[in-house]
Amino acid sequence: MWSEWQRWLDQLHQVFADFAAPLSTAHPLVVLPLNCLGFWIGLKVYRRVGSPLLHPVAGGSLLIFAALVLLGVDFTGYQRGSGLLYLLLGPAVVALAIPLRQNLAVIREVGWPLMLGLLVGAVLAPLVAVVIALLLGASQTVLIALSTKSVTAPVALALAQEIDGIQSLAAGVVAFTGIIGAVLGPSLLRRLNLTDERVVGFTLGINAHAIGTVRALEISALCGAFSALAMGLCGALTALVLPLLVT
Amino acid sequence: MATLRNLPRWLLGAGLLLAFDLAGRSLSAAFSLPVPGPVLGMLLLLLALMIYGRVPRGLAEVGGQVLRLLILIFLPATVGIYFLRDLSGGDWAALAIAMFFGTLISFTLTALVLNRLIQRTAARQRREQDVE
Repeated sequence: MWSEWQRWLDQLHQVFADFAAPLSTAHPLVVLPLNCLGFWIGLKVYRRVGSPLLHPVAGGSLLIFAALVLLGVDFTGYQRGSGLLYLLLGPAVVALAIPLRQNLAVIREVGWPLMLGLLVGAVLAPLVAVVIALLLGASQTVLIALSTKSVTAPVALALAQEIDGIQSLAAGVVAFTGIIGAVLGPSLLRRLNLTDERVVGFTLGINAHAIGTVRALEISALCGAFSALAMGLCGALTALVLPLLVT
Repeated sequence: MATLRNLPRWLLGAGLLLAFDLAGRSLSAAFSLPVPGPVLGMLLLLLALMIYGRVPRGLAEVGGQVLRLLILIFLPATVGIYFLRDLSGGDWAALAIAMFFGTLISFTLTALVLNRLIQRTAARQRREQDVE
């Protein structure tokens, strides 16, 4: 019990120590504003252009990477500088309980059909991708990263740590999956004559998580609520089941 | 001034998130559970909120803020994908193809299954109403 608290305090101490270190290009005072700036510009551009292809996850991270190359910062230095944000990852996952609690009435209302659909979707999303990669002869690292593709990024990161996948690869897979689903998904469903907003929202939440939820909110509030619900439930379900399957 | 008066409430909310995160991690480590600590913390918080009956205001405000900044919080991990060098070309190709087609296939299948289930339930409910 105390070892976890100790580890957290050590991490906090490390962050403070990095702040006190002499100024360099990998210093938190350089890297943290850079992260915020990348996020902010990414968000501005996304809102202006409105294309999910430029979602801050894609646009923002690319901007930051470009800046890091210009400044000559390597990934280890960048990670150290971003220590404060890594510290927030755990509480951010915990915070997902709040929308879940607020949507509890909706879950009870729609009941079992959606829960069954969730189960099918949560299994299908990673399974289809893993099978395709397996057929193409991908290595185990790729397979493990793909297995976390249907959960929202903070949960995927926690999962990747748990099952020894590569965290950044998992995060990248989650981000690109979200972009593909959000960009192409809704129009694909329209072509199949599936226009029920509950179905569209729920499918977006399972297959495109946070990015899909942003897209669903643009369609309608109802669509967004179902997407947020599916994202949270799918994340919790996968997080519970996946480590059992892999180990 | 108003911000200063809200401070204790926000600190309580932030403290709750951190406490449940640490509680989840401790529990996961103590019983060597395969579930990630923060996810366990999320489930614990959901349970606590269900028992408590409502979401405390400070927690709702801090939680909402954290969720709005979610993308920023996981940006450092996302940036990592550009630094990956240890994958072979074949692995990259397999990854890209699996992500692209896998997502589209599972997207369509999920929507079809869901639509079928919802319509079937709606039809049954209608039948039951007719019988009454």
